[in-house]
Amino acid sequence: MSQLQPTVGDVEIVPLSVAAASGPSRRRLPGWLSLLLANPKSRVGLGLVGFMVIVALISPLISVSHPTDFNLLAARQAPSWHHLFGTTDQGSDIFSQVVLGARRSLILGAASALLATVLATVLGILAAYSGGIIDEVVNFLTNVFLVIPTIPLLIVISSYLKARGMTTMILVLGLTLWSFEARILRGQALSLKNRDFVQAAKVAGESTWRIVFGELMPNMISRIAAAFVLVFYVALLVDAGLEFLGLGDNTHVSWGMTLYWAQTNSAVLQGEWWPFFFPGLALVLTVVGLVFLLAGIDEVSNPRLRNLRRSK
Amino acid sequence: MHAADDVTFVLRPGTITALVGESGSGKSTVARLLARLYQPTAGQVLFDGVDVAGARRRRDLLRYRSQVQMIFQDPFGSLNPVKTIRHHLARPLRIHGRVERGGVEARVQELLETVGLVPAEKYAAKFPHELSGGQRQRVAIARALAVEPAVLVADEPTSMLDVSIRVGILNLMLDLKERERLAFLYVTHDLASARYVADTVLVMYAGQIVEQGAAEQVLQRPLHPYTQLLLASVPDPAVTERAPITARKGLAAAAVDPPPGCRFVERCPLRIPVCSERTPELVEASPGQSARCHVTAPSPARREDLHVEHVQ
Amino acid sequence: MISVVGEPEPVTRPARETLLELRGLSVAYGDVRAVDNIDLTISAGEILGLAGESGCGKTTVANAVMQILRPPAHIAGGSILFRGEDLTALSAEGLRKHRWRNVSMVFQSAMSALNPVMRVGNQFVDMMRAHERIDKRRALARTGELLEIVGIDPRRIRAYPHELSGGMRQRVIIAMALALRPELVIMDEPTTALDVVVQREILQQVSDLQAELGFAVLFITHDLSLLFEFAERIAIMYAGEIVEEAPGGRLHRNARHPYTLGLMRSFPPLTGPIVRMTGIPGSPPDLAAPPAGCRFHPRCPHCAAGDTELFALQTAVRPTLEEIAPGHQVACHLVERDG
Repeated sequence: MSQLQPTVGDVEIVPLSVAAASGPSRRRLPGWLSLLLANPKSRVGLGLVGFMVIVALISPLISVSHPTDFNLLAARQAPSWHHLFGTTDQGSDIFSQVVLGARRSLILGAASALLATVLATVLGILAAYSGGIIDEVVNFLTNVFLVIPTIPLLIVISSYLKARGMTTMILVLGLTLWSFEARILRGQALSLKNRDFVQAAKVAGESTWRIVFGELMPNMISRIAAAFVLVFYVALLVDAGLEFLGLGDNTHVSWGMTLYWAQTNSAVLQGEWWPFFFPGLALVLTVVGLVFLLAGIDEVSNPRLRNLRRSK
Repeated sequence: MHAADDVTFVLRPGTITALVGESGSGKSTVARLLARLYQPTAGQVLFDGVDVAGARRRRDLLRYRSQVQMIFQDPFGSLNPVKTIRHHLARPLRIHGRVERGGVEARVQELLETVGLVPAEKYAAKFPHELSGGQRQRVAIARALAVEPAVLVADEPTSMLDVSIRVGILNLMLDLKERERLAFLYVTHDLASARYVADTVLVMYAGQIVEQGAAEQVLQRPLHPYTQLLLASVPDPAVTERAPITARKGLAAAAVDPPPGCRFVERCPLRIPVCSERTPELVEASPGQSARCHVTAPSPARREDLHVEHVQ
Repeated sequence: MISVVGEPEPVTRPARETLLELRGLSVAYGDVRAVDNIDLTISAGEILGLAGESGCGKTTVANAVMQILRPPAHIAGGSILFRGEDLTALSAEGLRKHRWRNVSMVFQSAMSALNPVMRVGNQFVDMMRAHERIDKRRALARTGELLEIVGIDPRRIRAYPHELSGGMRQRVIIAMALALRPELVIMDEPTTALDVVVQREILQQVSDLQAELGFAVLFITHDLSLLFEFAERIAIMYAGEIVEEAPGGRLHRNARHPYTLGLMRSFPPLTGPIVRMTGIPGSPPDLAAPPAGCRFHPRCPHCAAGDTELFALQTAVRPTLEEIAPGHQVACHLVERDG
């Protein structure tokens, strides 16, 4: 996960809300959204992710059949007008599986990202601001979670867990993926906390709690948003990977499960590419969308990158 | 580590006391000690005769902060970039309950007018990056005034500002001194500005006050060789002929674990043997002016010695 | 203490030949003109002071002369002639030779100009070997000499930058700027980060060295009072333009531009009577949308609607530099009218 490191300690941030407030556009879009839409990278990202979200929302309407309905007569059919993405070896409609799977995959990714981000934000900023023993403890915890290899840990946990429901997966992913974000946010908070506006707030008599969440955190919103997106796609990938290995919740439909069944039933050996291709494509498009969104957030909130772009 | 050592001075209402010295002299440490950003390791801070150095409870600290406020050097760092000017002024009002609920907005405008930012309602809605350096420093002053303090600590408030703006801030300090009967501690390295605003001057070197007295007296007839050196170094176009500087090259004595004797001895052109043996005391050598120098301000006992030597 | 004013140069070169000439130079950041059509001449062996507030374009001028403008900054017009050769037309290789050999620069922040993980001596050696064929032993020996002339113990050659004090680091930077014997040294706020005592020592040293070695100095600062002691000629910049230029002594006694006068009134005196000062009201303009006419008119005490004719000029026509006495140029409608 080396790509997660380079932003540590980078404080040249322009808070999105401020940059937007000073912008000339007075449209009815919220400031941060118009700012993201103005950047080509995040525009692509928002488009892709937005598309997936819409698909997930309307999936019950556009799915052709119940995704686990089986119809052996229609098994192993290549994509056609009737079955856009083809069918599985059981004859289930892959299109329905992919669109309904979008719902589960997105909720799972977003929920674990939310959990990890909240943990990382609270622990990271609090540790940086208070220093001393709190910082030591948080730092120790962060380091422990950083050195534990996430995927093997998840494999071990999932294989021991009886109930592999969605909530369990969210908890497991959220609780293991917070550490690198906490490290990034702590670094940023450390450099912010020595800025005079924090000292000034202290002199004005603000409480620690208010300084952390009222003064420091609003300055880190763009980085927190970036962290959220980052965990989002890592969680998506890890989840799909676990499911592909058969460690998922096999009572539900998801992209990973479709891939798992395709592999178990040796679809490729039979020359069937579609059970792999379509869920894989959905996964790739979502992750690419999130990566673009992340790059866009970075660019929008880092004036140096913005200038680089302009000068080109 | 003793960044400031045995520093004793008095601030009186309606006066400006300048604390001058080079970087590393400990003058900023003194400022931050007064603002209670650091805790003194020994000694007392008497406010209206009550020792407040030990106040740790939030209620006691708040009471202290409502009397002693601080203005920071860097107006670009001392305001929170994501908060409006209104927020910066309203927070101290709310924390210290200085006005009733409905009166906050009116008081914010009044404060902005006090520091010369009119029309106030226009400035209140702005973000810090929309203001110039001088305007931001005025906001910082207004914030400090919000709690109606008795003491204002100004840590190099003009050194980051453009030359043509500085005078405006200095004049504002003079006005506030007259109008609000504030006691200012003006920390600076700029002797000319100290002369312009201050009633009393304290000269700090390596963590100690080496000379203090009425501003005009200290700056026109300096006793301590360090003050003399400083004055000789300041570019002053009014002086056409300038004697070359006579100081020896040498490093300022470390404030950490200082050796016995005068801390300026290595650089002093006037030094005599006793200077490296005994630390000079702050001695009142002429009415209202004291210095820490065996040669130009010998202690009564020391004067006896010199006299004896002379007779022999 | 500084006696270079008007003195002839050492015999190596005929005195007062033009070394650097900026002709109608404009530098833009995107569409914003940070430097707008300025003319400036530096003769061999002279100290020219360039003063102005932050954002007035003085550092941009220095970067343009060094040809180290970084995008989006670019030269938007005019030429930079060094001994008659236009630097804006030089190839990358020509520029590499030009930099440091002809013109070197002392930056404000010595800490960022030195490589923190390299011994001082090696940094000199690298720099020298980038410009000429010299073996390491000789380069080190010359480094020792250079450090000695700026008053640093040559044994410090093995020190790392963090082992030196701020003043010593700045001396090292000056020694490095002098290493290839350039004819022009640009100093951009070289002493701003230093304490007054160290500042004075360094300035004294620079002027001694300058008298001895005969290089020219373009000294950039916000501190006009420093230039009155140090510079032979002073140019005042405001909002991307030069508004006044005169020999130092003359400017001190006879400054005419309201901005120059305002600047001079912004420094409280250290001696003499203390009078209430005014500074300059307002703040410098946004260069993305500079005021029409004279760029200083919104802050100018002499710009009032009462004097209709003058007011019309001040708010609509850009004043140009006019010579009002030998070597003294002012860009001001009021001065032009009243002489």
